[in-house]
Amino acid sequence: MKGAALKLVMVGKRFKGDTEPTEALRDINLQIGEGEFVTIVGPSGCGKSTLLNIVAGLEEPTTGWVEMDGHRVHGPGADRIVVFQDGAVFPWLDVWGNISFGLRVAGVRRSEREARVDEYIRMVQLENFPHARVHELSGGMKQRVALARALVLRPRVLLMDEPFAALDVQTREEMQSVVQDLWLRSGTTTLFVTHDVREAAVLGGRIVVLSQRPGTVSAVLTNNAPRPRTLENPEVVEQIRRSNEILKAEVQWSNQSKRPL
Amino acid sequence: MVEPVKTPPVNRDRESGIWRNYLHLIPMVVVAVAFVGLWELVFRLQIRPPYLLPSPSTVARALYDLWISGALPRAIAATLVRLGVGFLISLVLGAILAFLSVHFTTFGKGIQPYILGLQTFPSIAWVPLTLIWFGFSETGLLFVTIVGSLFAVTASFADALRTVPPVYLKAARNMGSDGMDLILRVTVPAALPHLLTAAKVGWSFAWRSLIGAEIIFATVGLGFVLNEGAAYLLLSQVIGVMIVILVIGVVVDRGFFSRTEEWTRRRRGLIPSR
Repeated sequence: MKGAALKLVMVGKRFKGDTEPTEALRDINLQIGEGEFVTIVGPSGCGKSTLLNIVAGLEEPTTGWVEMDGHRVHGPGADRIVVFQDGAVFPWLDVWGNISFGLRVAGVRRSEREARVDEYIRMVQLENFPHARVHELSGGMKQRVALARALVLRPRVLLMDEPFAALDVQTREEMQSVVQDLWLRSGTTTLFVTHDVREAAVLGGRIVVLSQRPGTVSAVLTNNAPRPRTLENPEVVEQIRRSNEILKAEVQWSNQSKRPL
Repeated sequence: MVEPVKTPPVNRDRESGIWRNYLHLIPMVVVAVAFVGLWELVFRLQIRPPYLLPSPSTVARALYDLWISGALPRAIAATLVRLGVGFLISLVLGAILAFLSVHFTTFGKGIQPYILGLQTFPSIAWVPLTLIWFGFSETGLLFVTIVGSLFAVTASFADALRTVPPVYLKAARNMGSDGMDLILRVTVPAALPHLLTAAKVGWSFAWRSLIGAEIIFATVGLGFVLNEGAAYLLLSQVIGVMIVILVIGVVVDRGFFSRTEEWTRRRRGLIPSR
């Protein structure tokens, strides 16, 4: 691992609930190296999306802090771009307009903007549909747009919040290989949140397993399976088995501890 | 692999003549013709004396004369200018109020009940106060048009702004957009279909308020010509102007608002392409 690009220090988050406050995350410590691909997997409601929002600066942590290249992060910034679960691709813009959105906001000159959009629209293989409108796109294509829209800004860290959860199995596997290819080519530091252990194992160089609420780090598995990987790769299969074991043990343990005396 | 896109079908009727584009108007024309026929029939039966129920041709004649004399074009122009100015002011003020009440929730909670109450307040009930404040003036007419539509515009603009999915704002903020940039680049375009519907609601409020006020205290304009006809018992003029008011309403609503609304919705895929 080269130097840590992203560092989470004792990050915790409490929400003021309607009746009582809930603790979503507790004491999360993580270091993510330059160019690393880290997946975060955990049961639903373990606060993994909250964790991603905190890194993105869209939510403030209650305790602890996030560092990028040694500087504390405050608020959102174009150096940490999120790909959301439903893509949040803008329906009033076409494919091209969506991909160039962030560049326009940043005030990038038109000629450079066009060159960069052109480069990334090819990268996600949508060069034949620059003027397609969002409602004409399939779920997979929408996520390609969301990916290109994020990568075109050349973020220091790419944050992915269960981006393929709403897709059918085939499209999901196809998108996983798209993400893997893009990462192999661009080497963008990536933090990928999912509830799908198989997805976490096929993509992650390291797999962070979170516990049930309040989310804490249960285990960090190193996954050195050679890339490009598929779900059939024996090392990936082994990682899936190990991650599943940890998750199961975690769920059993927390169910036992919550059982009334 | 990348799936093929459903391309919106092109309008294949285009080459078979422009007539096809007007086919959908036939039922409307049939109703108009049937109505005029029935009117003519009732007239010929002499149920009412002609000065109380003029024939369709007398009304057409009256309209023609009003047009030739220049009274009708002047009246239409005066009314439409007032409508344009008043409605525009009401749109701008409504947009500002709506934005403030959505953005600052406490402010919104404070003014919302009053906005909703004033929306149902009859615009005619503003007239006595208006006359005392502004007299028989253009300002007075504009004032009634504005207060008659402002609250409907504000309420429906606020509803429109609340339809914007928060994830769009989140994504845009994440890409560095904020403040005015966020409003213009994301909030407004995201809410556009609903904003257009809201504007349509607002225009009908403005239109009704203005004609009402014109009948009471204008010295030029459609409402004035209508009232003048009644004063001289020229029922052909009264009915003629009523038809003009009706037609303007249909043209603005169908021809402008509904068309823009439909176009926007089709572009978003909110309604299927033709």
